[in-house]
Amino acid sequence: MTILLQALLNGIMNGTLIAVPAIGFTAIFAVLRFPNFAIAAYATIGAFAAWWVNVHLGAGVLPALIVAFAVAGFAGVAAEETALKGLRGSGALTVAIGSIALNVVLENIIRLYFGNDLRGYDLPIVPDWRFLGLRVGPQQLQSLMIAVAIMAAMFAFLRFTKFGKAMRAVADNADLARLKGIDPAKVALLTVFLGAGLAGTGGVLIGLDASIDPMLGYRVLLTVFAAAVLGGLGSIQGAVAGALLIGIAEECALLVIPPTYRSAVGFIAILLVLTLRPRGIFGERAA
Amino acid sequence: MTKYAINRRNFLGASSALVGLALMPSAARAEGDTIKLGTLTPLTGAGGPYGPVMTQTAKAVIDEVNAAGGVLGKQIELISEDDQTNPEAGVRAARKLIDVDQVSAIIGTWASSVTTAVAPLCWESGTFLATVSGADAITALPHQGYLVRTQPNTTLQGRKFGEFALEKGAKRVYFVSPQTPFAESQYTNMAKAVEAGGGETDSLVYDDKKPSYRSEVDEIMRFKPDAVVLGGYAPDTTVMLKELYRAGFEGIKIAFAYAVNQQVLDGVQKEVVEGCYTIAPSSNENATAYKRLVDLIGVEKPDPYTVQVYDQTNLIIMAMAAAGDSTGTAIKDAIRTISQGDGTTVDNAVDGLKLIAEGKAVNYEGASGPCDFTDTGDISNSSFRYEQVLDGKFSFINIA
Repeated sequence: MTILLQALLNGIMNGTLIAVPAIGFTAIFAVLRFPNFAIAAYATIGAFAAWWVNVHLGAGVLPALIVAFAVAGFAGVAAEETALKGLRGSGALTVAIGSIALNVVLENIIRLYFGNDLRGYDLPIVPDWRFLGLRVGPQQLQSLMIAVAIMAAMFAFLRFTKFGKAMRAVADNADLARLKGIDPAKVALLTVFLGAGLAGTGGVLIGLDASIDPMLGYRVLLTVFAAAVLGGLGSIQGAVAGALLIGIAEECALLVIPPTYRSAVGFIAILLVLTLRPRGIFGERAA
Repeated sequence: MTKYAINRRNFLGASSALVGLALMPSAARAEGDTIKLGTLTPLTGAGGPYGPVMTQTAKAVIDEVNAAGGVLGKQIELISEDDQTNPEAGVRAARKLIDVDQVSAIIGTWASSVTTAVAPLCWESGTFLATVSGADAITALPHQGYLVRTQPNTTLQGRKFGEFALEKGAKRVYFVSPQTPFAESQYTNMAKAVEAGGGETDSLVYDDKKPSYRSEVDEIMRFKPDAVVLGGYAPDTTVMLKELYRAGFEGIKIAFAYAVNQQVLDGVQKEVVEGCYTIAPSSNENATAYKRLVDLIGVEKPDPYTVQVYDQTNLIIMAMAAAGDSTGTAIKDAIRTISQGDGTTVDNAVDGLKLIAEGKAVNYEGASGPCDFTDTGDISNSSFRYEQVLDGKFSFINIA
């Protein structure tokens, strides 16, 4: 029982970390209607930006997260404008493939400047707290709270601000939104900034738990994608639910299957969703 | 318009030239003024810290031989490729070295997965392969003699890990490793050693593409181990060490020296790696060849792979001289005539080439060890170097 509870706990922790970039991924999909795989590189860019200000300027976790958000957001906008925008006319598949290529390019630019070495944030590491035979890391709890705060801010933004409402309007029905005088180009730009920024902060949270290298984003890309698909592409609540489910499934799966097959959980989730409920848990229409 | 029109005579002429080129035996095309050797080392990926120096070392040996007049009256040309510590990239690079550059030998493949993937290309094409990979399965491949390695195999390494854990008083030893070609044989041989000493073992193989291993570490902790042997590479071992620290593991940690290296020490919090033991096949630091190598490349403490590449390059050059031919097959047939036996002891190819030219037999004693090969291509003898991380630095224990 304790074993299962611990796996559940680990799953929730993992899931919340995955949820942040998954929201970014799904938000971009909601507005621009294509899966942006360059999200992996944005996560890595965010992690490295935060590392830089942390190690060179001594920034703490929160300022580093803000820097990561801004840098990854601007990198996302720049990449979108130069590389992906021109492809939009050729259909979603073309842009999606373009984003895979963009991801490889960005990842290697990071490699060019920072090299392949492993890096860790200059933060103290503390042993886990133990209670009732379970263990949980203070650092993880901190990441969990940050992730929850980011998600809350994102929901509030979508619900109460003009831009947030505009984003939802475009996601819901782009033509109707245009008739109402919403400029889709502006909304698209803001969404990419937000999506890439969220991926960047997600990258930092993942890096805090382990270590960072140019492959950081790529390693979690499948899980992030699976979370978004599971929750329903384009649905923000869906991304959160999907991420939690995938996180818990991955950890609990370890109790019955060898850990080497952990990555298979993501694939199986995608397969099941596409077979049984292609629109995902929260998706309103078939994607 | 006419400028680009295909003129029939030109077309026929050009095509027959092309066909003719294709029909020419590859040996004829390779016939140049130089002998080509290739290095295939990891310049990026988990092996990234080692590859560049390995390549530089092969180049230094070749420059030395070229300056002394080359081998078989020709200069040697080195072509270097990056295997990215990735079998797929390794195969592409090996194809280029074999098919395009037509090298006689490939030196330096590092990761066992890369070597396993590249080896068949080598023996099929008659290209000689010298590797620093440790997986047992590599020399068990049907390589027909086209492969030698200077790294002790995992049977030997696994036993050393087990014996060391026992020596440190551990009774319950846990082996944890990502999926590698050597994980299983390393665990089996480690377990044999530990169980022979009355201990118990268990193991877990994890997916090294995951950002955290909390549940994996939970499983390790349930075994209540006195010692954990870390069988992975640097990126995943770093994460594993952090998780073990967070989980409150205070027992003995033993890792490969390539997984817990200086960069890991620089990159993680001090307390995470404190006390960790490292084991590495050791170079023979008292050998004259080792001292020559240090002078040659100007590196104070060359890593074991660099040292092995130094030996491999020297051996291959001398084998070509002894065979009187520069093909991979000639190297395969001649390498044991200069690596072992009763000949005059030499520690570098330049001296060796002179003796071979005088018709004398030589026996190369390398910087990594005696460099004597068994029939299957393993080295018959090696020592290991033990170190421990104390106060954030590596402190030397012994070489045994």
